[in-house]
Amino acid sequence: MSDVRPIIHPLDSELAQLRTALRAVEAPPADETDIKAAFRAAARARAVSAARLRRVRRTRAAIAAGVLVGVAGVLAVLVDGERTPPAPSQAAAPPATPLFVEPFQPLQSAPRLLPAASYSVVRVRIPVSAFAMVPGSEEGGTIEADLLVGEDGLARGIRFIEADAWLASAEQ
Amino acid sequence: MDESATDDRLEARLLAEIAAGVEQSFVDLYRRRQQDVYRFAFAMARSRSFAQDVTQEVFLNVLENARRFDSAKGSVRAWLFGCARYVVLDRLRIERRWTDEMPPEAAELGADERLFADQRTERLHAALARLPVEYREALVLCELQELSYAETAAVIGCPIGTVRSRLHRGKALLATMFAERSDSAVEVEAPTESAMRPREVCP
Repeated sequence: MSDVRPIIHPLDSELAQLRTALRAVEAPPADETDIKAAFRAAARARAVSAARLRRVRRTRAAIAAGVLVGVAGVLAVLVDGERTPPAPSQAAAPPATPLFVEPFQPLQSAPRLLPAASYSVVRVRIPVSAFAMVPGSEEGGTIEADLLVGEDGLARGIRFIEADAWLASAEQ
Repeated sequence: MDESATDDRLEARLLAEIAAGVEQSFVDLYRRRQQDVYRFAFAMARSRSFAQDVTQEVFLNVLENARRFDSAKGSVRAWLFGCARYVVLDRLRIERRWTDEMPPEAAELGADERLFADQRTERLHAALARLPVEYREALVLCELQELSYAETAAVIGCPIGTVRSRLHRGKALLATMFAERSDSAVEVEAPTESAMRPREVCP
């Protein structure tokens, strides 16, 4: 419907003559050999450019893979770094056991404590009856204490863990 | 069955085979459509050597772009005109054969340079070649190559309404130029930049 051409233009007959004259215009005859030669040349050019394109694509793919691997490595390091808590914060965490503020008391019969010597701490429960000087010791029970043991296996010092609480309850 | 529909199917098959690398299909399509492309270029530029160069370039483009043809968008013939239009406009732009450097009037041509025997036809073609390219291509495709408005619109890449208005205005301009004897007597609008710029090698 859009192709309906209802308007007759005064130039239409002239254009029809030009159309007829144009139909008589002939392109120079082409040799089939030339056409085929053009086809083969174009096919060769296409093959060369396709091979070049493949090479370029392979190179780009290799570069892209390298970049990806690099980025992945950097990300892995960054993520790992975020997951591992830094040493200072670990040090700031509360300890599992309370710190003892009470100093060790040297035992009278043992050799004296030396600052440079190596000792081990052994926690023991001692019967209260073993301490005759402690008030209420006749009532029985035990008291927890740390023994400072030297490399020779002999105890050098002692500190009482529950002494304050035990003494307070004994006074009551 | 409609002959043109059969031709369309055959030529679409030829293009598919060209894309697949069948040499004989290229020869067949060249033989079938060489004259159409040549005449379109000749009508646009009024030069046999120009038309010959355009024809060669168009069919080389066909080799490169055969797989881009979509039969749903139109016939192979219209597609070839689309390719030819690109090459023609590109060459015209390069050779600066625009209206500011117009081809010689028919009267200025010697007897051996004349393309048509009839002087009136010769003069009309000369006037056509001096039209702004946007009107010229619409007239050549619709009036001389007898494409439908829809096919012309597809080749040019504009709405059908634009084709109709360009035809109307082109004919009016052509009638004025055809009637006039003097070059300077006719004021021709310069073609727009968008009309000079082709869209793609093959639509």
